[in-house]
Amino acid sequence: MRILVVEDDEVAADYVRKGLMEAGHVVDLAPDGDLGLEMARAADYDALILDRMLPKLDGLELLESIRDDGDTTPVLILSALGEVDQKVEGLRAGGDDYLAKPYAFTELLARVEAIGRRSDPTAAVTKLKVGDLEMDLLARTVKRADQNILLQPREFRLLECLMRNAGQVVTRTMLLEKVWDYHFDPQTNVIDVHVSRLRGKIDKEFESPMLHTVRGAGYRLQV
Amino acid sequence: MLESLSKLFRNTLFRLSLLGAVLFVVSLFASLGYVYYATVASELRAVDKTIQAEVDEIQNIYQTVGLPDVQRLIVLRSFAFEGRYLLETPNWFVGNLGSTAMEQDGYVPFTLIDGVPGKPFVSKHLTYAIQGEDDVDDLQDRRIRALSGFLIGPKGETVAGLIVGRDVEEIMRTADRVRTAIITSSLIALFLGLLSSLFVSQRFTRRIDAFNRLATDVRAGQLDRRAPRNYSEDELDLLAEHLNAMLDHIDRLMKAMRYAGDSIAHDLRSPLTRLRTRLESTATEMKDDKSATALWLAAEDADQLLKTFDSVLRIARLEAGEQREMLQEIDPKIILDDIAELYEPACEDVGLGFLAQIDEGLLILADRGLLSQAVSNLVENAIKYTPKGGAVKLELSRNMDNRVVISISDDGPGIPAMDRERVKERFVRLDKSRTAPGSGLGLAMVDAIATLHEAEFVLGDGMASEHGPGLSVKIIFPRRRHLRPAIKE
Repeated sequence: MRILVVEDDEVAADYVRKGLMEAGHVVDLAPDGDLGLEMARAADYDALILDRMLPKLDGLELLESIRDDGDTTPVLILSALGEVDQKVEGLRAGGDDYLAKPYAFTELLARVEAIGRRSDPTAAVTKLKVGDLEMDLLARTVKRADQNILLQPREFRLLECLMRNAGQVVTRTMLLEKVWDYHFDPQTNVIDVHVSRLRGKIDKEFESPMLHTVRGAGYRLQV
Repeated sequence: MLESLSKLFRNTLFRLSLLGAVLFVVSLFASLGYVYYATVASELRAVDKTIQAEVDEIQNIYQTVGLPDVQRLIVLRSFAFEGRYLLETPNWFVGNLGSTAMEQDGYVPFTLIDGVPGKPFVSKHLTYAIQGEDDVDDLQDRRIRALSGFLIGPKGETVAGLIVGRDVEEIMRTADRVRTAIITSSLIALFLGLLSSLFVSQRFTRRIDAFNRLATDVRAGQLDRRAPRNYSEDELDLLAEHLNAMLDHIDRLMKAMRYAGDSIAHDLRSPLTRLRTRLESTATEMKDDKSATALWLAAEDADQLLKTFDSVLRIARLEAGEQREMLQEIDPKIILDDIAELYEPACEDVGLGFLAQIDEGLLILADRGLLSQAVSNLVENAIKYTPKGGAVKLELSRNMDNRVVISISDDGPGIPAMDRERVKERFVRLDKSRTAPGSGLGLAMVDAIATLHEAEFVLGDGMASEHGPGLSVKIIFPRRRHLRPAIKE
């Protein structure tokens, strides 16, 4: 993906760039809001990483400007103001996801890849398929190798989230946000418990496991 | 009754004002006593003098002219209005005091109620009461002041019994009235003194009580409370002023301390984030498994630090109360069902029973995210501190006061009553839990969230077991009319 990072903290920006490049993305840096807006308008990016507090032009204003232009590039907002109401503001301004500082780089990477992928025209899917694992979103059924798998509603949403981001890392925080709609981090491994139950249902009786744990990051569903 | 009385006597001001009242009554009694002495007693002394003079005169007459003249003199004087006499020999008696021994017509028979006749004249003055006959009205039950004794002959022999007295009934009645008046007025003064002590102490106690309530509230963490002032600049008002200044100062210090903590947390976040990123990226590049593991562990420590800082800042923001506008009418069942669903498997995995008893149809003003976080913190605490085989119970109900209560209880070791307020403070961890993972911010966060919801956050005994009394944590929401309505956009 081609990603524009608008961030005034040089060191932080450098690390983000380095990390994203290592993950195989093309990264441009903009140190302030004005330049960020210029670059966002000039080139076609797959995703934008936008700091909220920027010199010259505020992150949210930048976002509103490009949305006014009709630009639908997915935007991940970064901010030190890690509160839920700030998040709501950011999303209302046209952001696709919001990440509070401090964040783990893996979290940032997972989220950017998730929103970058969202821009694919897959909005109206009714079926998800990863390897021999199939999910019917309308009938709410799951099959693996044509065997029906019975899931609880929450397990279904958990699997749906993993399947929509198949091949990519989904962090625990992302799962907590997208499956449970919680915006805080529990102190315990409560998500792991749910994931391991899901794993028991979709992987246990099959030869090749699909649901992998990614150390220090989260989970990945992969063939 | 008895208890409230002993409470009253423990009241310093009541005791002081009562003492004042008693002292006042005593001095009143003393001064009235002087009035009595100066009026009634001096009149009696004048009477005594007259009697003594008359006795001396009679003795003198006897010695110069003999008994028959004394007899005549007594008869004559008996007709006088105020004199009372009795001259008595074994064979006869004269005078207007009758003798019990020799009762005759024309004399008033009397019984000496007090005093003994026949004592020498040197005896002291006595007031005799005489019991008169019923038909002699003005002599009935009248008191005389008299000297009684004997006429002494030349050889020192007793010649005749003699009583010389004066009717002092009027004086004595006045004396009685004065005495009654003195006692009554003293009693009235004592009663009024008691009443005024009560009144004064009540008034004063109300103001002192206000200070005590203030101190209790401040100790409970309400640093914004201030002592009421009436601006009279009396000593209590000045005390209130000083207390308030002191509280302002404490408040400023606390805020400064918190601000310093928050600033540190804020400023350390960026370098910590970089540290974490550095550790993480190096760990992924690392070929050596052992070094990679060490780096991952270091990254996890950095995560823990970041989480702690994040919690500190979240609590700071919650305490500032900025998010009160986010509260919305919500059925708490939705929140608790989700939490129950999230944590039930986690409980099962560590060998704990999980019970959820969630009532329907309740409504509170709350923020789903914040309240979920609070309940999640509490459930995680319960899981963390309850030994294997125990149970965690999540309840939602309406209590007797018609208030919505969320309760999380366990059968673990519990928290001693004396520590229950303290553990709500930031970074306070009890010795027992120091070894367990955690930042000591969980309950502080819950406290801040409860306060934001204007709810009470109460710790108590939970389900008793062999591990201890257990812990029960309640979030008690205010009745809905006490809440400010949510601001709808």
